[in-house]
Amino acid sequence: MSETQTHDQTRTASFGFKQVDWSQKAGMVKGVFDSAAPKYDLMNDLMSFGVHRVWKDMMITKLNPQPGEHLIDVAGGTGDIARAFLDRADAVQRRRGGQPASAIVADINYEMLQAGRKRGLRDHMDWACVNAECLPFEAASAHAVTISFGIRNVTDRAAALSEFHRVLKPGGRFFCLEFSRPTTRALEKMYDLWSFNAIPQMGEWIVKDRESYQYLVESIRRFPIQSAFAAEIEAAGFKNVKVTNFSGGIAALHTGWKI
Amino acid sequence: MNETTTKPAAKDLDPKLLEVLVCPVTRETLDYDRASQELISRGAKLAYPIREGVPIMLPEEARELED
Repeated sequence: MSETQTHDQTRTASFGFKQVDWSQKAGMVKGVFDSAAPKYDLMNDLMSFGVHRVWKDMMITKLNPQPGEHLIDVAGGTGDIARAFLDRADAVQRRRGGQPASAIVADINYEMLQAGRKRGLRDHMDWACVNAECLPFEAASAHAVTISFGIRNVTDRAAALSEFHRVLKPGGRFFCLEFSRPTTRALEKMYDLWSFNAIPQMGEWIVKDRESYQYLVESIRRFPIQSAFAAEIEAAGFKNVKVTNFSGGIAALHTGWKI
Repeated sequence: MNETTTKPAAKDLDPKLLEVLVCPVTRETLDYDRASQELISRGAKLAYPIREGVPIMLPEEARELED
């Protein structure tokens, strides 16, 4: 996803460790997720030793959903973040009253959305197929934008970040959960051994698709480290940008505010 | 199970979603064509399809409109 622009106008994007034509990346990522959609949670379980559910839970707790708030969950896939957001906001509403919260699950991949819809539809929860780089939502329409384990698959990250900023209301918050860089050498070594050896092999055994899993592992390593990504979020206009490492930096939560 | 009677038909677009949706190209509001299940962007001359109640807001998946 780091881009390079050369004089002969060839713009490339990283697809795992490979450089591919800038315009090709979105389609290639779609291929990975079409293939992975039915076993998506399993994939995250493998990459995180099953801990991604705990990380998401910690993110929602920090997000502190309130009655009447509107969430856009980008790369929301199967809808688990939106459901957790609405559950928490509804619990507060039962205690204190207020308007119901609402959420839109937005994902570029229709198969992922359908997998999520099969798990159940509910009131105040909508679904839309979107490209994060040009969101089809009104400016200043959301109290919160979240993206979990999705930003590294976006081709033009700067465009997506400025779109997240645009659709947020003033005072709105952006929460991004993503695999990141372990903060100690020992953990990084262990995680590398696991991810580069075990995961593609398991991808082959479990879903007969080594390449997709190889891509996922490589795309995690290609993603900017915590401080570099925080700088990108600031460049998109967010204020008070903060990083919280989860599980020694295997994942990181980046937060920013639209002032 | 009479969920279908209390909830909007799964194939129809939620009116609340329509309120916040804009054309990703022009950022204009959209017209909902219920018969064809499309969201029309006059400015971009594109019709975004709705599949099973899910609007597909990708220009490359939209139908180009003639004048």
